[in-house]
Amino acid sequence: MFSLFFENLYISVSSVLANKMRSLLTALGVVIGILAVTLMGTLISGLDRSFEKSMEFLGKDVVYIRKFEWFGSKEWWEIRNRPNIDVKHAEVLRNRSQFAQYVAPVSDWQTSIKRGDKDINGVRITGTTDEYAMISTAEIDIGRFFSNSESHSGARVAVIGKDIKDALFEDESSIGKKLKVGNYIFRVIGEVEKQGKFLGMFSLDKQIIIPLGTHERLFTRRGWTGINVKVNEADLGDATEELTAMMRQLRHVRPTQDDNFALNRQDPFKDQYSMIKLAIGGTGLFITILSLVVGGIGIANIMFVTVKERTREIGTRKALGATPKMILTQFLMESVIICLFGGLLGLGLAWGGSLIINQYFPSDMPMGLALVSLGLSMVVGVISGLAPSYKAAKLDPIDALRYE
Amino acid sequence: MSVISLKDIFKIYNVGGEEVRALDGVDLIIGENEYLAIMGPSGSGKSTLMNMIGCLDTPSSGIYEFEGEMVHEMDDNQLASIRNRKIGFVFQTFNLLPKATAQHNVEIPLIYGNVKRSKRQSMAIAALESVGLGDRMHHKPNELSGGQRQRVAIARALVNNPSIILADEPTGNLDSKSGQEIMAIFDSLYQAGNTIILVTHEDNIAKHANRTIRLLDGKIKEDISKLS
Ligand SMILES: Nc1ncnc2c1ncn2[C@@H]1O[C@H](COP(=O)(O)OP(=O)(O)OP(=O)(O)O)[C@@H](O)[C@H]1O
Ligand SMILES: [Mg+2]
Repeated sequence: MFSLFFENLYISVSSVLANKMRSLLTALGVVIGILAVTLMGTLISGLDRSFEKSMEFLGKDVVYIRKFEWFGSKEWWEIRNRPNIDVKHAEVLRNRSQFAQYVAPVSDWQTSIKRGDKDINGVRITGTTDEYAMISTAEIDIGRFFSNSESHSGARVAVIGKDIKDALFEDESSIGKKLKVGNYIFRVIGEVEKQGKFLGMFSLDKQIIIPLGTHERLFTRRGWTGINVKVNEADLGDATEELTAMMRQLRHVRPTQDDNFALNRQDPFKDQYSMIKLAIGGTGLFITILSLVVGGIGIANIMFVTVKERTREIGTRKALGATPKMILTQFLMESVIICLFGGLLGLGLAWGGSLIINQYFPSDMPMGLALVSLGLSMVVGVISGLAPSYKAAKLDPIDALRYE
Repeated sequence: MSVISLKDIFKIYNVGGEEVRALDGVDLIIGENEYLAIMGPSGSGKSTLMNMIGCLDTPSSGIYEFEGEMVHEMDDNQLASIRNRKIGFVFQTFNLLPKATAQHNVEIPLIYGNVKRSKRQSMAIAALESVGLGDRMHHKPNELSGGQRQRVAIARALVNNPSIILADEPTGNLDSKSGQEIMAIFDSLYQAGNTIILVTHEDNIAKHANRTIRLLDGKIKEDISKLS
């Protein structure tokens, strides 16, 4: 049966090549289908990667006590009168909580930073304590973080992100150099390693970290405050309960009242992300199925035409000893080859597309998906070729030979 | 010894409620190394009989024995197999595959017979050489003359050493010179011991045969053997 396989392959390939334009148009649906499914896969793989990195930044074991929920269904009027988070509560939580390993108050503000004639705008200025370094997943790769005593003093020292280093220092070393935050002069003592963008939205490296004491003195009480608490991952549930109770007490929330603060964690990001992923996947799948179905119908149609055109050939082959099954496989093979050719074309285009996607965020075409989609195009070939091939197989040899 | 034995063969078509007896009770025995011409007016059932002998068609009733095998009881796969192994066809319109070379065309029956590639090629080359086309192996049908195409078809018919070679008006689409060349090939195949059955309208084609039967309205009216 080996020689028959090659004969069929030869017939199929030469018939596809003999009708290049027709084969291309016929396979277009499959091309689009395979393109859609692989591009979708590439996109999701890229999103996954960037999402994982962003979640790494948030940390699995950190509770972010904030004035508002990151995700919530509460009406704005319900929550807008909530008092700010008091950074002094950080100290209380650390002393009383049995789950908190590290507690860092944070106070954020945005301003521009200058050095000589260079400047950078919209930098996030975070005032915090030395424990921030223990909670954050990002490492200090040059210099050092500020100490416990510096945290509460008014020391004008700063740890800078890579965006600031690149904008103000370029290739120079930044350690020990001066820069201006707003109108105040600070000395750089460390640099945070490069972190990239958070969910592709804003750069995590456009940040400068200064002692909380300094922040409070210079930037008053403007901006956002919060408390980051690191706990043991296994205690996350208990810790949340405990911290909620403490915060309610500290903020004098009466038992009948709802919390007027939020304990944020990375989980809701995950839920949100799964929904986005589902939406992308669903859309991609819908396009794929639609184009494969439409493409499959087109292929079935062309195969019927092919069988009609080659009726005499079928008659001749039968006279020479081809069984119905041999004729069936010949035409099935042809339809599969058209689809496979469409699938390969789609994959080629998707590969080109993935290079473009790669420019925006790192991703790669999942090899498994590529193989599955090739398999899928073959399945489309078999299904759409079945009826025409069956018709060819069942042709009466005499009628076929006599066909004009 | 008989190769083919037809007993009381009927082929009846129903056209618009009317019964057409394409074959109307045919009895025929053909032995080994016979050279048989089937003649008769148009519509007398020559092609129908030929298709029946070639196992392309099955009778409405009657018994058809081919080398002891009961053809009238066979299914499509068995018919395909017997055509592949025992019968070589030559058609009036050549019926070559237009995109394939002469050699590839000749290899087709061997492919369906599952003959290995190297053996297949040497058999095809030998068959083409025996019809004088050793130098046209890689030509496609549209690069060959009508006579040459029919010679490729004959090479294809004899490549698997069939028990019988069937030809339905093999010279019908050829000029008389090419026709004579084709008949010379059939003559030499007959000399070499093959069994040949051909359908023709023309007496000077039929005279090559050593036995002639005449059909009329699906019945054999005359069966004359030349004395040799
Ligand atoms: N598929 C069919 N359906 C109905 N009638 C048929 C069919 N095939 C053949 N016939 C009839 O059977 C009869 C014999 O036909 P056949 O083709 O065998 O004639 P023939 O002797 O080969 O004629 P010609 O010399 O013109 O080729 C004709 O009357 C024809 O109309
Ligand atoms: Mg006829």
